[in-house]
Amino acid sequence: MIGPVEIAILVSIGAILIRLGLGPTAWDRLLAYNSAANRIVGVLAIAAVTSQESVFLDIAIVYLSLSFLGVVVLARFLERGGSFR
Amino acid sequence: MTALVFIYLGGVLILIGTAGILRFNDVYSRLQASGVSDNVGLTLLLVGLILRGGWEGGDWAILLLTALLLATNPVATHSIAKSAFVQEHAEKKER
Repeated sequence: MIGPVEIAILVSIGAILIRLGLGPTAWDRLLAYNSAANRIVGVLAIAAVTSQESVFLDIAIVYLSLSFLGVVVLARFLERGGSFR
Repeated sequence: MTALVFIYLGGVLILIGTAGILRFNDVYSRLQASGVSDNVGLTLLLVGLILRGGWEGGDWAILLLTALLLATNPVATHSIAKSAFVQEHAEKKER
């Protein structure tokens, strides 16, 4: 019943990877990475509920924490004038 | 039935946010589209997943995931926006 929602979220992850690839500035890529990580957390939660495996929820919690840490650290790095070149 | 309404509303909001990220032409507009619709859409999705199976055995992990998402996502969005704003004005000042 909630299979179409999962497929729609996976398609939207694929569409966001386009923005991750051709974003003009570094902040566009950072924002696309943040959105893709949030959608992956949603997919993991749906997979945990449909397959009755609560391990996926623990994976989702750890994944969300680590992606938040990475995004904030990279944003502070770019704010202080760092570049990837 | 209510759970399905919540889940499908969350999926529609996530698709709207994806269209906004792809179609807007400014960093701040994309941040607006992503930050608002991701937060509301994923929260609706997770609340719908809690409501779907009833409160049997305790869905504490999904509740913790919802709270963590509501705590971290605005902070990350604000951090990206502040970083872009500060860096843009630093470039203007140097010229």
